[in-house]
Amino acid sequence: MTPLLTMRGIVKEFPGVRALDGVDLDVDAGEVHCLLGQNGAGKSTLIKVIAGAHRPDAGEVVLDGTPVSFGSPQAADGAGIATIHQELDLVPALSVAENVMLGHEPSRWGFTRPSDAEALTRALLLRLGHPEIPPRREVGRLSAAGQQVVSMARALARDARLIVMDEPSAVLDPEEVRNLFRVIRELTAEGVAVVYISHRLDEIREVGDRVTVLKDGRTVARDLPARTTPTAEVIRLMTGRSIEYVFPERAAADPAADVVLEVDGLARAGEFAGVSFTVRAGEVVGLAGLVGSGRSEILETVYGARRATAGTVRVRGAALRTGSVPAAVRAGMGLCPEERKSQGLLLHEPVYRNVSLPALARFARAGFMRQDAEIAAAGGVTAQLDVRPADGTRAVRTLSGGNQQKVVLARWLLRGCTVLLLDEPTRGVDVGARSEIYALVRRLAAEGVAVVLVSSEVPEVLGLADRVLVVREGRVVHEAPACDLDEARVLDLVMEGTAHV
Amino acid sequence: MSDHSAAPGVTGTAPGAAPPASAPPASSPPPAVPATDERGRIEKAARAAEPRGSTLGRLLDSGVGRNLGLVAVLVLLCVVGVATADTFATTSNLLTILTSASIIGVITVGVTFVIIGGGIDLSVGKVMALASVWATTVATQSFGPVVMVFCALAVGAGAGLVNGLLIAYGRIVPFIVTLAMLISAQGLAERISGRRSQIVTDPTIAAIATTRLLGIPLLVYIFAAVVAVGWVLLNRTTFGRRTFAIGGNPEAARLAGLDVRRHTIALYVLSGLCCGIAAIMIASLTTTGSSTHGTLYELDAIAAVIIGGTLLTGGRGTLIGSILGVLVFTTITNLFVLNNLETEIQNIAKGVIIVIAVLIQTRARRSSSG
Amino acid sequence: MSDPHPLTAGLRRRGFLIGALGVGATLTACTSNEAPASSANVAVAAGDNAVAGTPVTIGFSAPAADHGWIAAIANNAAAQAGQYPDVTFEAVNPTNDVTQQIAAVDTLITKQVDALVILPNDGSQLTSLGRKAMAAGIPVINLDRIFDSPLAYRTWIGGDNYGMGVSAGTYVGEQLKAKGVTNPVIGEIAGIDSLPLTQARSQGFADALTSYGFVVGPRQAADFTAQGGQRVTANLLQAAPKLDALWNHDDDQGIGVLAAISQAARTEFFMVGGAGSANAMRDIKADNTVLKATVTYSPSMASSAIALARLVAQNKGMGDLVEKEVPTSITLASATITKENVDTYLALGFES
Repeated sequence: MTPLLTMRGIVKEFPGVRALDGVDLDVDAGEVHCLLGQNGAGKSTLIKVIAGAHRPDAGEVVLDGTPVSFGSPQAADGAGIATIHQELDLVPALSVAENVMLGHEPSRWGFTRPSDAEALTRALLLRLGHPEIPPRREVGRLSAAGQQVVSMARALARDARLIVMDEPSAVLDPEEVRNLFRVIRELTAEGVAVVYISHRLDEIREVGDRVTVLKDGRTVARDLPARTTPTAEVIRLMTGRSIEYVFPERAAADPAADVVLEVDGLARAGEFAGVSFTVRAGEVVGLAGLVGSGRSEILETVYGARRATAGTVRVRGAALRTGSVPAAVRAGMGLCPEERKSQGLLLHEPVYRNVSLPALARFARAGFMRQDAEIAAAGGVTAQLDVRPADGTRAVRTLSGGNQQKVVLARWLLRGCTVLLLDEPTRGVDVGARSEIYALVRRLAAEGVAVVLVSSEVPEVLGLADRVLVVREGRVVHEAPACDLDEARVLDLVMEGTAHV
Repeated sequence: MSDHSAAPGVTGTAPGAAPPASAPPASSPPPAVPATDERGRIEKAARAAEPRGSTLGRLLDSGVGRNLGLVAVLVLLCVVGVATADTFATTSNLLTILTSASIIGVITVGVTFVIIGGGIDLSVGKVMALASVWATTVATQSFGPVVMVFCALAVGAGAGLVNGLLIAYGRIVPFIVTLAMLISAQGLAERISGRRSQIVTDPTIAAIATTRLLGIPLLVYIFAAVVAVGWVLLNRTTFGRRTFAIGGNPEAARLAGLDVRRHTIALYVLSGLCCGIAAIMIASLTTTGSSTHGTLYELDAIAAVIIGGTLLTGGRGTLIGSILGVLVFTTITNLFVLNNLETEIQNIAKGVIIVIAVLIQTRARRSSSG
Repeated sequence: MSDPHPLTAGLRRRGFLIGALGVGATLTACTSNEAPASSANVAVAAGDNAVAGTPVTIGFSAPAADHGWIAAIANNAAAQAGQYPDVTFEAVNPTNDVTQQIAAVDTLITKQVDALVILPNDGSQLTSLGRKAMAAGIPVINLDRIFDSPLAYRTWIGGDNYGMGVSAGTYVGEQLKAKGVTNPVIGEIAGIDSLPLTQARSQGFADALTSYGFVVGPRQAADFTAQGGQRVTANLLQAAPKLDALWNHDDDQGIGVLAAISQAARTEFFMVGGAGSANAMRDIKADNTVLKATVTYSPSMASSAIALARLVAQNKGMGDLVEKEVPTSITLASATITKENVDTYLALGFES
C-alpha cells in the first residue's frame, strides 16, 4: 500500500541555520508514527513543513499519491492535516465550542449557529472521554490538560486524515495520558494517521507503531519498530553515543552542613498552607506532586514571586521580605521557572543578554555596560553548559527547548546563587540535554548550592533529590530521604485520596 | 558526566576550572572568574562568535541600518523638495526643519523609552503644555530663568511620577492612566493660565530660540543633546538594558530579580522630564506658555516611534528610528508649506506618506533580517 | 541597583520625601498669575433702559475657551450681566462638543429662562436647537456664528469676517501703494481653514487686494494657537525669502507668528494682525516689531449681546433708535487699529 504521506529530501534553511538537511518520512494511514530526536534535531521545523507553516526549500511532499505544496496552514488544513502544537494555539477568551469550530463555524447565510457548534463539540468531547468539559466554558479557564483535549477536539472536528501531535503528554497527568492513548488508538483504528512526538520513550513503546529518528536535520533511521527497538539503540541513534547512567551518581549529602534555606509555616490563601522545610548546603530537595497540587506555587512563593499570606522564608538565617523577588535574588536565590518561554526568557534578545540579566550591575561601571566583558562572561557559562549553537548573539527564540533551558540555568550560574529553585527543569528537553542538566544539578549541589526541585516526573525527583517532599492539595503529606522511596510509593502518596487510585 | 558529549575544543569544562556557580555570600558576589586558560579560550570563542565586529556591523546594528527604509523615504522627500522648491536645499530651510523637529523630537525620545519598556504615554503633549504654563506664570517668571527651567522640569517629572506610581503600584493600564493625565493636565493648564497665552517676558528664556551657535540654533543643540544622552542611556547602560528586558517580557524580568515596578516609574519620570525640557523649548519658540501647546503631540510622537520600527508591544526598538520618523514628519510639513499647498491636501498626503513609509520600512527590514 | 543597607535606604527615602515636599511647595507658589486688570468691556445702559425693569434670567452658552478671544467672550458676558441688578445670569458649562452644548442649552430651555445668548460651536448644527428655544417662547440672541435659519434667533449680533479681511486688505493695499511697490509679495497666515469664518476673511482680504491690483502670495493655515502660528510661519518664511506684507488672521496665534519672524530675524516687511488683542495693541503702540496694525473682531460683542438679551426679554427697544423693538441683526464694523489710533482701542483689547 502506498503511504498516506511521503516526504523526500526535505530541506529548510533559515539565515545561518540549515534546520532540515534532507529529511525523509513515510506515514501510513492508520499508524502512529513516532518522530524522535533531540531538541534542535529539526522535529519542530519538520512538523511546521507538514502543517504548511513553512515552505520547504527543496524536496518533495506527496500526500495520497499526489505531490503537494502547502503555501499556508489553511491549505494543509484543507488537505486533511491537523496539528496540535506544543504551545497550544487556542484563543483563551473564546468558548470551548468556538475554539473547536474556529474557522469552520457552522453557519447559515453568514449567521453562526452556536447551538449546532455546541452540539458538535459536545459529541466530540464525549468521544474524547471528556464529557465533563462544558462547551460554553471559556478556554482560558480550563486546565492545561483540558485545553489539550479541546485542541484534540479541534483536530477531530476537521475530519483530519493526519494528525500531528507535538509533545501532547507534556502537560498531562498519567491518567490523562492513558485517556489520550485510548483516543489515539480509536483514531488509528478508523484509518487516521498520527505523527506523535514525545521525549518519553516509554510512551512511544506503548502507543507507537514505527519510529523515525532525526538528528541534526537529517533522518538517521526510518521505520524502526516502536515496540522492539532497544532503548540503547534509539538513544545511540539520537545522540550518536550511548548513555549508561541517566542520573549521575551522587555523594551522600553532608548531614552536618549548614542549613541554607528555612521555610517555616508558609501559606498562601487558597493555594497551600503550613509548608515548612529546610535545605542544607549541598542538598537537593525534591517536591513531588500532581499538576495543581500547589508545588509550583510553593516554589514561587519561596522566591517572593507570590506574596505569602503567612510564614517566613530565611536564607542563611536572615528573614526575607515577603513578596519581593529582588530581595530573594539579593539573598542568593535563583529560580528557573516552569514556563520557560513566558516566564524565563526574553525571546527576541540574544543569548548573552538573557544570561547576564540578573547580573547586569556586575558588568557595568557607573551604570554603563561593559559589553565585551558581559559577552565574554556569558559566553563562558553557555560554553560550559554546551549551549548550541554556540553563537551568543543569536536570539534565544531560535534555540531549541533544551538549549533555551540551559540559557535559563546559565543565568544563575553566572550570577552565582546559594539557593537554586528549579521548576520542571527538563520539560520538553531531549534525553541528551536532560542528562547534562542532571549532571549540572548534582555538580552544583556538590559545590554547596542548596537546590529545590519540582518535577512531574517521579523518577526524576527520585533520581536527583536527596530528600523528597510529597505535596498533595496544598499540603506536604510526606517527607523522606529519596533512598527510602520508590516510584510506586511516591505515586501512591501523590494520588492517595483522589479518584484515580 | 556531560563532558562526553562536548565536541572537542569547542565546549566542555576544563578539569579543575573554578566553577562560577560557587555559592557566594549575598553581599559580595565574586565575579565569575573562569580559570585563566579557559577564560582566554572563551573570549576567543566569544569574539569568533560575534559576526559583526566591524565598524560597519556596529553601524548596521545601531538603528540606522535597521531603518534603511526610513532613510530612503527621507532621501526621497529631500529629492522631491529639491525638485519642487528652490529654497528647500538652503541652509536656513534645513535649520528650520531641524528646529521644528526639535520639540516633538525631545518628546519622542521619552516616548520611545516608555514604549520599548512596554508602556504607552498619551499624556506627553499636555504635560508639556502644563509645564510650559506653570513655568511662565507671572509668579514663576518673577524668580528668573533658573527657577522657570527648574519648574518646567519638576512639573514634567512630577506628572511622570504620578503616571508611573499609578501604573506600577495602582496596576491600572498605562493607556488609561496617561489618558487621564492628558485630560487633567489640560484642565490644570487651563486653570492656571486662565485659558490665556502667557507671554514669556524673561529675556533669557526668550533668547533660547533666537540664540545661534556656529550658525545653528540652540534648540537644535538641545535636541541633539537629548537624543545623544537618550541613545547612550538606551544602548550603553544597565538602565537601557532593563528597559528592553521589562518591555520584552515583564514576567521574565521580574523573575530574574529586576525591580520592574521601580523601573516602570523611572521610565514615566524620564518621559515627563523630556516633556519638561520640551516645555521650555516651546515656551521660548512661541514666546508663550499655553494650554493649547502640544495638542495631538502624543499621536505624532507615537506615530514617529512606530514608523521608526519600535514594537508597540515593547521590548524592541531603536531611538534612531524614532528620530528619523520625526524628521520625516517635519520634512513633509516643510515641503507642503514651501509648495504653498492647502491644509486639506497636506493632511491627505501626510496620511498616505505615513502608510508608504511604514510599508517601505517593514519591507526593508524583512529583506535585511530574513 | 539596590541598597543593601536599610539604614541609608531609610535616610535616602526620607531625604527624597523632604525634597519632594520642597519641590511641591515651590511649585504651588509658582501657579499664581497676577490677576489681569479687569479688561472686560462693559456697556453702561443709558436713558430709560438704565432703570431696572422686570427681573429676567438670561441663559448663556459658549464653546470652551481654548483661545483668548473665546475667554474674553465669556468674561465680557458675565461682566455685562453683573452690571444689571435686574438680570440673573445663568451660564452653562462651556464645551467644545456640539452634542454637549445641545444638552446644556436644553436644560436652560427646560428651566424656562427669559432669554438665551448662544455662541454655537457650529451654527448649522445648532440651528434646530435655536428653533426649539424660539418655539418654546424663549428669545434667542445668536452671537457671532450665525444659525442657518432666521427662525432660530430673535436677534443676531456678530463680527464681520469678510469685512475684517477687507479692512486688512485695504490697509495693506494703501501702505504698499504709498510705498510705490509694484508686484509685492503678500503673505497670509489663516486660522483653521475648514471654518467658514476663515474662508470669509480670506475672501475679503483677496477681494480688497484685487482692487489695488495685488494678489495673495504664500498662504498657509495655522490653528489659532501660538504653537501652530510659529510652526507655519517658520516654514512660510523659508518659502518666501522676501515678503512685503503679511496678514495674520488672529492675534493669539500671532504671538507665535511674531516669535517665528523674530527668530528668523526678518524685518523687511510689515504685518497686520486680526481680532485686536491687548497684546497686539501694545506691540503696535510700542512700534518695535513688524506688527504695524490689527483689524478688530471684538469680543465686546458678548457684552452687547447680554444687553440686547435684557432689552428683548423686557420688551424694550434700543435707546437711540426710534423702533420699539431691538433689530433682528447687528453686524459690527471691523476697525483698523494703527499706532495713530491705538490708544482709543486699548481698553477694548482682550488679553490673549
